[in-house]
Amino acid sequence: MYEIRFHGRGGQGGRMAAEAYALAAFLEGKYAVSFPFFGAERRGAPVRAFTRVDDKKIRIKTQIYEPDYVVVLDETLIETEDVLEGLKEDGMVIINTPKKPEEVQLSKPVKCATVDATSIALEILGRPITNTAILGAIAKATGKVSIDSIEKAIIEKFGARLGKEAGEKNAKAARVAYEKTLVGVSQGGKEFVPRKRWLPTVEEMPIGGAIGTLQTEAGLVGIGSFIENKTGDWRTFIPVVDKEKCIGCRLCWFYCPEGCISMVEDKATVDYDYCKGCGICANECPVNAIEMKREVRE
Amino acid sequence: MNIKDLPEESLFTPGHTACAGCAAPAIVRNMMKIFGKDTIVYTPANCLLVFSGTYPHLAWKVPYLHEAFENTGACISGVARAYRRKGRKVLVVGFAGDGGTYDIGIQALSGAAERNEDAIYVCYDNEAYMNTGIQRSGATPYGASTTTTPAGRKIPGKLEHKKDMAEIMRAHEIPYVATLSISHPKDFLEKVKKAKETEGFRYLHVLSPCPTGWRFDPSKTIEMARKAVDSGMWTLYEAEYGEITNIYKPKKKIPVEEYIKGQGRFRHFTPEMIEELQRWVDRKWERLYGEKP
Repeated sequence: MYEIRFHGRGGQGGRMAAEAYALAAFLEGKYAVSFPFFGAERRGAPVRAFTRVDDKKIRIKTQIYEPDYVVVLDETLIETEDVLEGLKEDGMVIINTPKKPEEVQLSKPVKCATVDATSIALEILGRPITNTAILGAIAKATGKVSIDSIEKAIIEKFGARLGKEAGEKNAKAARVAYEKTLVGVSQGGKEFVPRKRWLPTVEEMPIGGAIGTLQTEAGLVGIGSFIENKTGDWRTFIPVVDKEKCIGCRLCWFYCPEGCISMVEDKATVDYDYCKGCGICANECPVNAIEMKREVRE
Repeated sequence: MNIKDLPEESLFTPGHTACAGCAAPAIVRNMMKIFGKDTIVYTPANCLLVFSGTYPHLAWKVPYLHEAFENTGACISGVARAYRRKGRKVLVVGFAGDGGTYDIGIQALSGAAERNEDAIYVCYDNEAYMNTGIQRSGATPYGASTTTTPAGRKIPGKLEHKKDMAEIMRAHEIPYVATLSISHPKDFLEKVKKAKETEGFRYLHVLSPCPTGWRFDPSKTIEMARKAVDSGMWTLYEAEYGEITNIYKPKKKIPVEEYIKGQGRFRHFTPEMIEELQRWVDRKWERLYGEKP
């Protein structure tokens, strides 16, 4: 048996990738199961999904804690969490990034495959949905299923949901990714400080759990404390304001779901710490002063 | 009241975890700017609760409480009465979703309205149980594909039409009922301000397009709200004591087809289904405007 853990963001299709991979293995006569992590995750928030493959019936139903392979659909996730957690000694990590495996820094050096799935998806599908491209990379990196089975599984799974043409386009994305995947060894040495949690004792807990604003070891809790939760790493596209064109009408300021646009000298100014890149501001700007650009991260 | 009259200071912080392109945080933030600091907020189970109030973290800068799904009306009643007894002037607001209003919360809401409690009830309507993964509600429009009304070969999405909740509330003859859309800022803000200044039970119903559940690109949220108004799928009006006092008429009524076209939940629509939905819009139009569209 081997196990794969998918790290993605809600809406990127991590669950569909896990299911399509299971289907590809099934088409080759294996037993396979897949399921997502259940939680209150929204589109854009970090999520996980799991796939197990075996030659015999699979009885185990737990989440995957010690995977053979880790798949990362969104490069920004390797900055905030240790995706290698529990990875087996000879395990491998497959990452969507424009970098070469040798340029990727993780908590320790491990076998690593990389592919720029976002660019492939944008080019072929026109949308930054990377779940099918990454499947091609898994086939190449692991050699556990053939790219033909991956294509068949994608056409069956995505074709049923999105129509035949979309199914075939997604299969093509997988094929292109298969050909472009690089395999090597990552760098190590990246340190992760586990996020602290606020765990008050019974005595410390206020009556009814009601809290004002408290500064704790785990950061701010209570009223207004979400301000410490930076959601800027959710985005793929970044709004760029042309200050010359901006007429200070405040429509974007009003419409922005994050409330991360402020008016500086009567011009729209985006706080990129929080912007999720939805693009409403650019779509609604009456003078087209805002443009959504593909974000390049260092 | 216009956008430029709104204060800079926000009582709803960024950093909340709503999906990119969600209309609800923009609705809530702008409403809170008018409601002001002396407000206490209640929410039942809904997306808003999960993305803005994941204990111990909160995006709100006012007292905020979470209650059970069905009793928003009862909770805001109790709190409003407690403050009256204490002689304190506090605005009591409940923010519920369409599931918590149309289906699960309607009895407590109806009771609170009938007793004319001094509170504001806001229904932000994204037309399904989005929080639990897009299940149909009484607010889901005809034909929409949801996880409990999946469009397939036998059943073409939801078979029933959307319930007219604002009209049910108008029939309670409460001091103020208004339907709002985030795409019409001036109208939106004036209604919120009016609700704040009115005494007794006030019901605000705002359409909240959901890119995840309606399946459209997150940048189109406001556009969807605007098209809903222009097509007559969503009607903006105010009613005082049961009488409509102000109704907005789109300058040019667009066919319902224009509205549904960009949304994945209507992707399977046949010409007959479009006609059926158009008939529903036209009936509603005639009832509210008193003339044929």
